[in-house]
Amino acid sequence: MKEYFITFRSITMAQRGQSVLKSGGIPALLSRTPRWMEEKGCGYSLRLPPGHEGAAVERLREGGIPFSKLYLRREGGDIEELKP
Amino acid sequence: MIYLDNGATTLHKPPEVRAAVNRAMARYANPGRGGYPAAMEAAGAVYRCRETAAKLFRCKPEQVVFTMNCTHGLNMAINTLVMPGDTVVISGFEHNAVTRPLHFRGARVQVAGRRLFDPGDTLACFEKALRERPTAAVFTHVSNVFGYCLPVEELAAMCRQYEVPFILDAAQSAGSRVVDFEALGAEFIAMPGHKGLLGPQGTGLLLCRRLPEPLMQGGTGSLSAQQEMPDFLPDRGEAGTQNVPGICGLEAGMRHVLKRGPGVIGRGEARQTQRAARGLQNLGLRIFCGPGQTGTLSFLPPDGDCEEASRRFARHGICLRAGLHCAPLAHESAGTLDTGTLRLSFGPDTSDAQTAAFLRAAAGVFPDGA
Repeated sequence: MKEYFITFRSITMAQRGQSVLKSGGIPALLSRTPRWMEEKGCGYSLRLPPGHEGAAVERLREGGIPFSKLYLRREGGDIEELKP
Repeated sequence: MIYLDNGATTLHKPPEVRAAVNRAMARYANPGRGGYPAAMEAAGAVYRCRETAAKLFRCKPEQVVFTMNCTHGLNMAINTLVMPGDTVVISGFEHNAVTRPLHFRGARVQVAGRRLFDPGDTLACFEKALRERPTAAVFTHVSNVFGYCLPVEELAAMCRQYEVPFILDAAQSAGSRVVDFEALGAEFIAMPGHKGLLGPQGTGLLLCRRLPEPLMQGGTGSLSAQQEMPDFLPDRGEAGTQNVPGICGLEAGMRHVLKRGPGVIGRGEARQTQRAARGLQNLGLRIFCGPGQTGTLSFLPPDGDCEEASRRFARHGICLRAGLHCAPLAHESAGTLDTGTLRLSFGPDTSDAQTAAFLRAAAGVFPDGA
């Protein structure tokens, strides 16, 4: 299944992001960022089902919550970094 | 036993605080480290505490840095704002938690406002000092010795007007007065978790408007591939494993405070102060009281021997504190440096009956009055 990842430098910011998204009805699962997505190590990300990524990015920006990157993982496992 | 030393720590915590500590001890692993459920649940509990603190003190969750106690936070804040040789304005009622770090840092300390229960004097002296554009100001919200509530809203406005960054020591006010980080505009507000916030000992909060200089360097669970501490909140101030059971207990304590309201709690404590002050005055003892006084009251035994008097109170089952209360500057300001004082500090659970029992004991401890 396709999945989107929004990565954060700190777990606290990822948690705040999750809280903001949840209040907007956007489902987001908090998890550790896969190592190949995180250059500096030990980040956290929010995993989103398809169709929510645009609204999620918009809400995070509105809330002043800094995130690092947005990735798409396709069904076959290919990864693409997106420009949000 | 009647416990009247809540200024040192609140002893009787709400049951939900103890339950939260127990739950954390049984269920939570290290937050922000692993990705498995016990670690992620711990991270969730820690974040809930940040959210509750943010609600209580009007700040953002990431501005809440967990500390070991108020002193820890004050040290971090002072180390961030003050360099050796800098001039720092403080009130005449500061605790050693403020004055010792400033002394160690090599700051030039200017004391402003030494008149007890005289906010007009405090403001006039600060205004004069702030006009000289010191590097920073540090002031307590409430004197831990005398219960004098400083006019912090006006002091904060004055600091903002003169563009002097300031640190507020909320050791004696968090949980029993409104402390509004957003409105005050403080650079840092430090507070203990184990006093008015009803959390376990070994907990504290530092609310940060700017990045603090960490006292410790180490693992944060973030940016692990780099050697510098992270340049973002709260990680920069939180090296090493957190006191998760303490944080969970603190969260439960803060929820209790939010439910009752800090204003309601503070007014209840102040009412006990007034009752005790009247009773001690009737015994002819010298008391230190004034307008706007909080739940803390100092008084002097007739012979000035506070330690002996506190021992006699202990025989009556009354726990109160004698001495300098780690605040020699406050005693110097009030003229009690030689004797210290006996201090009563009421808590959210102090009842009228307990204050009455204290006064009966006082009549026995001082049978001849003054």
